[in-house]
Amino acid sequence: MSATEPVLILDGVFAGYGKMTILNGTTARIRRGAITTVIGPNGAGKSTMFKALFGLLPIRSGTITFDGRDTTNFSPRQMIDAGLAYVPQGRNIFPELSVRHNLELGGVALSDQASLPDRLDKIMQRFPMLKEKVDVQASTLSGGQQKMLEVARGLLLDPKLMLIDEPSIGLSPLMVQEVFAILKALRDKGVTILLIEQNAKQALQMSDYGLVLEQGQTRIEGTAPNILADPRIVQLFLGGGLAQPVAVS
Amino acid sequence: MASFVQLVVSGLATGAIYALIAVGFTLLWQTSQTINFAQGEFVMLPAFFILASMNLGAPFWLAALIGIALSILVLGLLFKLVIVDPMLKHGVLPLVISTIALSLFLKESAKDFYSSQAQPFPALVPSTDVHVFGAVVSTQSLAVLAVAIATVVALHLLLNKTRLGRCMQATAQNPTLARILGIPVRRMVLYTFLINGALVAIASILISPIYLAKFTNGETLGMAAFLAAIIGGFNQVRGAILGGVILGVLDNLSAAYISSQYRGAFPLLILIAVILLRPQGLLGRIEERTV
Repeated sequence: MSATEPVLILDGVFAGYGKMTILNGTTARIRRGAITTVIGPNGAGKSTMFKALFGLLPIRSGTITFDGRDTTNFSPRQMIDAGLAYVPQGRNIFPELSVRHNLELGGVALSDQASLPDRLDKIMQRFPMLKEKVDVQASTLSGGQQKMLEVARGLLLDPKLMLIDEPSIGLSPLMVQEVFAILKALRDKGVTILLIEQNAKQALQMSDYGLVLEQGQTRIEGTAPNILADPRIVQLFLGGGLAQPVAVS
Repeated sequence: MASFVQLVVSGLATGAIYALIAVGFTLLWQTSQTINFAQGEFVMLPAFFILASMNLGAPFWLAALIGIALSILVLGLLFKLVIVDPMLKHGVLPLVISTIALSLFLKESAKDFYSSQAQPFPALVPSTDVHVFGAVVSTQSLAVLAVAIATVVALHLLLNKTRLGRCMQATAQNPTLARILGIPVRRMVLYTFLINGALVAIASILISPIYLAKFTNGETLGMAAFLAAIIGGFNQVRGAILGGVILGVLDNLSAAYISSQYRGAFPLLILIAVILLRPQGLLGRIEERTV
């Protein structure tokens, strides 16, 4: 598979909660080895898209293709095995367990359990802060450190693609820079990153591609600089809405 | 002073049994939001499994093992599959009402199919007295304490020192996140039901020589476990242990030194104080609201 081929394809995906449909035929192509940021107004379906991708929500129609395989309606466990990691919004640690045990739980789905100690060592080399705090209770970490722990835990299985939902929420500007730097380093190592960010401008500045979601549909898909320069973005975020889906290359 | 030690030791023994029952109760709550109002009857029933096995000719030790196995099967597995799984879909309240119905069913079944009379139940050790620090303490109390402590320690080791146990804790603390990490959440929840089945059976073996096996035993035991869980903290295993021990000791001391007629009132007074002053329980953690 070539580097330009999309690693993840959503084709006309419909999903939602109960009687509410949030994704209204979402279509998107996520490029391999790049950072793609999903932006859009509140309620556009960004987080829902991630949940549907990861198998936490049933897909009502449409297909999801991940790494050349049809993964529509895979379970979370199957998505993990296929090479997807998901870091949801908010706090996602087990506060009463130690940092080590939190990390270790990221390896439950590992088929080769014997490789877990090596993987833990490797992760802790990459995140020296976690190595220092390995035996402390996870609840004592700062917000930024907890986010690092979540990202590190997601990396334990060497995912091909990582879904990260609003990592910057509640973090200091300095910490946001640090998290973004880690994401860029991951991208440089070949991990595809799909990111949701409220802070659209800052996220797009470090992204390769952008995807604008509104009312559960992709309105604009293109390179990050093009999206940053697109006058319609301003209009969209001010609530004007876009009538037609437009492709920007 | 001697009688005080005696009262404390026998109170600790009763409290340790309450603790076992309360621990199972809080485990079910933590992993599946099941408030099991049949928990008292769950403790009453295994004694009858054991007596029935003995009537069929099994020696006590074998009957006890059969009782524990049946309890894990019926009060763990079947309870989960037949009652909890179908009802939990409809919410916590319908499930609570189902467990109340189950408690009545189990109580009446024990009465109709076995006996309405209290049945003598073999003790773990012959009942003699030993002298500890000048006080007379029954070997039975000591045996009960030893078994209960060993059970709690084993459970603690399982939950905290093994990967499996930490997966169960993860499931209890944040089931959605557990799923995202690929932890088999449904299986972890089932394990807690099986563990509860074992805990109530052990509690049954410990309490029945003292209370005799009677179909109404569940009423007081279930209430004690419920109170212990609330006093200690519903979302903490160690809270349930502390709550159980406090109740057991308090019950004995208040009956001896204040009034045996009002002994039932003292746990409730503590309950009121805890709810007013520390609603999350003595060792409980305030639950974060999930959006």
